[in-house]
Amino acid sequence: MKDPKSRRNKTACGTCSRKSESIREAEYINNRIAHCRGKSGNLISVLQDTQRQFGYISESAIRHISKGLDEPVGKVFGVTTFYSFFSRTPRGKYLIRICMGTACYVRGAQKILDAIRKELRIDMGQTTPDALFTLDVARCFGACGLAPAIMINETIYQRLKPSQVRRILAEYRPKETEHVL
Amino acid sequence: MCYNPALLNGSVRITTVEDLNSIRDSVQARELGSARGSREQVLLCAGGGCIASGESLVKKALIDTLRKYRLGKRIAVVETGCLGPCAGGPVMIVGSDNTFYQKLTPAAASEIVEKHLAGGTIIDKYTYRQGPDSKSVPSAADIEFFRKQTRIVLRNCGRIDPNSIEDYIGNDGYQAMAKALCFMTPDEVIDQMKRSGLRGRGGAGFPTGQKWEYASRSPGPVKYILCNADEGDPGAYMDRSVLEGDPHSIIEGMIIGAFAIGAEQGYVYVRAEYPLAVIRLQNAIESARGAGILGKNILQSGFSFDLEIRMGSGAFVCGEETALMASIEGRRGEPRPRPPFPAQQGLWNKPTVLNNVETFANVPVIILNGSDEFAKTGTAKSKGTKVFALAGAINQTGLVEVPVGISLADVVYEIGGGIPRGKSFKAAQLGGPSGGCIPLNHINVPLDYDSLIELGAIMGSGGLIVMDEDTCMVDVARFFLDFVQDESCGKCSPCREGTRRMLQILERISNGHGREGDVELLIAIGKHIKSTALCGLGQTAPNPVLSTIRYFRHEYDAHIRGHQCPAGVCKGLTRAPCQSACPAHVDIPGYISLIGEKRYKEALNLHRERNPFASVCARVCFHTCENRCRRSSIDQPVAIRSLKRFLIEQEKAPVVPVVKSNDTNAERKIAIIGAGPAGLTCAYFLARLGYNPRIFEAAQKPGGMLIQAIPAYRLPRNILAREVKMIMDLGVKIEYGRNFGRDISLESLKDEGYDAICIAAGTPSGITPSISGVGSHGVVEALDFLRQFNMTGKAEIGKKVVVVGGGNAAIDAARTALRLGARVSIVYRRTREEMPAYAEEIQEAEREGVRIITLVNPVEVITANGSVKGLRCEKMRPGAFDSSGRRSPFGSGETIFLRTDKVIFALGQRLDTKTIFPGLSPETEQSQRIIADPVNGRTSIPWIFAAGDAVSGPSSVVEAIGAGERAAVGIDAFFTGESHAFWRTEHENITYFDPDADPSDSRRANVKLLRPVERKAGFIEVELSWSEKVAIAQAQRCMRCDYGKASSTG
Repeated sequence: MKDPKSRRNKTACGTCSRKSESIREAEYINNRIAHCRGKSGNLISVLQDTQRQFGYISESAIRHISKGLDEPVGKVFGVTTFYSFFSRTPRGKYLIRICMGTACYVRGAQKILDAIRKELRIDMGQTTPDALFTLDVARCFGACGLAPAIMINETIYQRLKPSQVRRILAEYRPKETEHVL
Repeated sequence: MCYNPALLNGSVRITTVEDLNSIRDSVQARELGSARGSREQVLLCAGGGCIASGESLVKKALIDTLRKYRLGKRIAVVETGCLGPCAGGPVMIVGSDNTFYQKLTPAAASEIVEKHLAGGTIIDKYTYRQGPDSKSVPSAADIEFFRKQTRIVLRNCGRIDPNSIEDYIGNDGYQAMAKALCFMTPDEVIDQMKRSGLRGRGGAGFPTGQKWEYASRSPGPVKYILCNADEGDPGAYMDRSVLEGDPHSIIEGMIIGAFAIGAEQGYVYVRAEYPLAVIRLQNAIESARGAGILGKNILQSGFSFDLEIRMGSGAFVCGEETALMASIEGRRGEPRPRPPFPAQQGLWNKPTVLNNVETFANVPVIILNGSDEFAKTGTAKSKGTKVFALAGAINQTGLVEVPVGISLADVVYEIGGGIPRGKSFKAAQLGGPSGGCIPLNHINVPLDYDSLIELGAIMGSGGLIVMDEDTCMVDVARFFLDFVQDESCGKCSPCREGTRRMLQILERISNGHGREGDVELLIAIGKHIKSTALCGLGQTAPNPVLSTIRYFRHEYDAHIRGHQCPAGVCKGLTRAPCQSACPAHVDIPGYISLIGEKRYKEALNLHRERNPFASVCARVCFHTCENRCRRSSIDQPVAIRSLKRFLIEQEKAPVVPVVKSNDTNAERKIAIIGAGPAGLTCAYFLARLGYNPRIFEAAQKPGGMLIQAIPAYRLPRNILAREVKMIMDLGVKIEYGRNFGRDISLESLKDEGYDAICIAAGTPSGITPSISGVGSHGVVEALDFLRQFNMTGKAEIGKKVVVVGGGNAAIDAARTALRLGARVSIVYRRTREEMPAYAEEIQEAEREGVRIITLVNPVEVITANGSVKGLRCEKMRPGAFDSSGRRSPFGSGETIFLRTDKVIFALGQRLDTKTIFPGLSPETEQSQRIIADPVNGRTSIPWIFAAGDAVSGPSSVVEAIGAGERAAVGIDAFFTGESHAFWRTEHENITYFDPDADPSDSRRANVKLLRPVERKAGFIEVELSWSEKVAIAQAQRCMRCDYGKASSTG
């Protein structure tokens, strides 16, 4: 939604792969629903699994979940948009989350954010055109002793200085594109 | 670590209390064995912080090296929960004497195995450091950070393997559960909880026993118990550490709670940001279930209970109880109005108890040891301990558990080791977005629920963020509001719309577009939100703003009215932090970069745009600019004052500033009282606007304290005279020997036709104590002594002089007396670190031979025949912290006698407004200070202005200069209705700078000083100037924070 460009890439990459992805998605969702049938309040668990598996929750996934759990589409949609962990658009391969908790903030998280923005040329909530990085803000992952900190997927980088940003991001970039950039 | 593998895979079941006890006994027997040396442990912290710092590689290195030295069997590596000192991570505790090692790397780990575990030698370089001399403290038992804590909640954190249920059982785990289930009734459990006085640790502090009682009385067969592990307050991570470090304690607490209220199902709601906590808790639940501790008929008590984890999905509001329940039910996490309260209708409309992680961790201890034992810790109204996550500007960040009621000062200074890099404490923020801040003057507040609420903060969940002088409180308020605005669920309009409006106002304030009345508007909206929002998130959202307004109103005023961010944080108001820190707002990066290009005349011109006293400040300025310099994040700050000192040496002909002549202004009659730095500066800027002010000075020479108090070895008189002459050349007249209050008064000046007056009279009277003997011959006040010598060149001095005091006047008096041939001692009632004088001045005084005796306070001047013979002093001890953030000394009763024939008291200065205002008087504070608007110097009488020490109390030269400038602009605005301060318009510096280049790698150079032996001969200047080569290299160290910023509102 915030990055239409990368979505367009997704839909433009051939009918075959699209089809297979939606089949995979449906199979996966059916499987998860079967797994937690009978448990009350399982909508969020199914959404969490779907998000984890596909990196976002597509419109077809929402419809599929609604059917499978016998919940109105509106409710599934409402829950999806309420929680910040659910993304309605595909995310980059690497999710960079910058901690903007108090400890990180008073220790200069803003300067780290500025450096990453400058380096990736994207804003908060956006994904790079090569679908490699998505930039997001986090509210404290409890690494306050190590402030300022960022998390790239599951890896925490701590006591960061703006000057280190370029080197860290380079580790995630494929070697050949490094020359192009 | 599991010696009974059958336990974990579920083949052994704990079905009776005897089963539980036998496992406990076997684990304890093994631990006894290890204490005898047959088996040792390395406790490696695997808390979130240490994992992020590379714990897994350290672990691998440990195991590999142990194997290499064939120690693998004898020494086990145990991965524990959080040990606490997260800043030093990865950390571990090894050996029988509990040696604590920090900042580990794989190489360090191997070295420790090799030399310590195999060789028996403690390796100093990886040990903990504490105290002013950062002494190595190897044993954990001696480390202040640990010593001052009381660990109840964190009893097992850092001591056991969180993945081992056996370890937990071996440390009396599940004994409380057994006691409750098999030997107590639910009512007895509730009674114990009520008597313990435990209050909910989630923030609001509701009594836990009472909550349980309500739920147990609610009718219905199905009830739920929930654990709130949605720890969302930024800066708080106590719950995460307990979940990661001791997950079984939560399970046990919940089982006991479930038993008390009659619930058979529980949920732990963990936020998604804590993946490790989820894994460890899941693991613990599974092993408890496997062992029969969760499930049907636990310990054959007939009670059944099971537990499930529900993960959050990134919504802060889900920490609110009704929102959390909605989320577990699979809905949008929106709160609902109460009543009905969850104890009546909670999850799926069934009676429900929701407690926080830390609360549950306390439960087993209360049940096992009894409520009376628990209630011994804490205060009358708040029992037990509280875990705090110490973070921000503090030396030892990490997790600490302290008795409720301990003072904030103890946590910050004793446990946390104080503020790093010699900065000073400004405030502590407690309770995150729902809480408030505690400023320096309340640093002694006991940390309990009620005392904190009184000060407008809350205990909160335990985040304690320390802020130093570099923090802008307006920015902090904006930060928290941005947070709650973002996290507001949007259900109720006070929170959704109200916080948005407040954020908009705060954003315009920090962008430099604040309006008069904005603060009042923030207060009004904040109060509305508090009384009308639906849930706790909204009701507490305005707290950070209201609390910063309560204690830091002057910072809001500086932003809104003065267009300054004093901390140099708010982007719209900050060009460079050094410039924001300078009370005169000199374009520091500008003139430093001009020095770097050898454009000295332009550099000096730029300086004098904002501050006429370039050469005075080059010598005596206390340089707050350097304290804020961003270069210090790389190595040390740019030597700004020394560079200015070099610049002054390059002044060939006096530089004449821009003057805008104005015939109307020239006709106005303006009187300035006092020819000190404030008065002269005020005159300088008025003259540049075309006014012809007249200064009335009591002494026979201009300069005020610059000439009367500051000795010539610090400020040569010809230097001062040159800058005073520059000001007089602009058309400023000075009348000497005109004593305000005696020769002239406000009325007489008005009668003479003066249209405006600026009072810059300073604080000319010294203070002497009321102890016996002060009236005798040989006792003198420091300012009188300095003034007499500086103005006449003569002063009576003894052979042995004692100076009393720790400020700059004390050091000046001591060094002057020394130069007059006396042996000099300084006595000060606090410690050396707490002396208010500039550190470099104290150091030079000592190098010259002044003896400094601290922690002594004079009680009597001993005299014989009316002359001083000695000074009797009492030895002092540092006591509790006072409102200045320093320890208040108290008398020990023990006295010492100092033989002396001259006592100089340097205890401070004041202005006696009763003598200067015999008739008409503007408003004053306790007749010692004139009350004036800090933005424009206006007093309560429209045509009277005031500036300098007379307003602020004794302060620095550059503060007086800044105030003089503001009063000049205020006077001009008084006449014309607008500001014409053309010097405040800033221009982009056109010096060369490459923003992509690495910063210069030269280090900060030392100041060049005359050798002490050469100094004592007289009053020649001590500090020397650098060579051009050194100066240029030093100027190039500047990181040019001003780059690309054309101007800021000045």
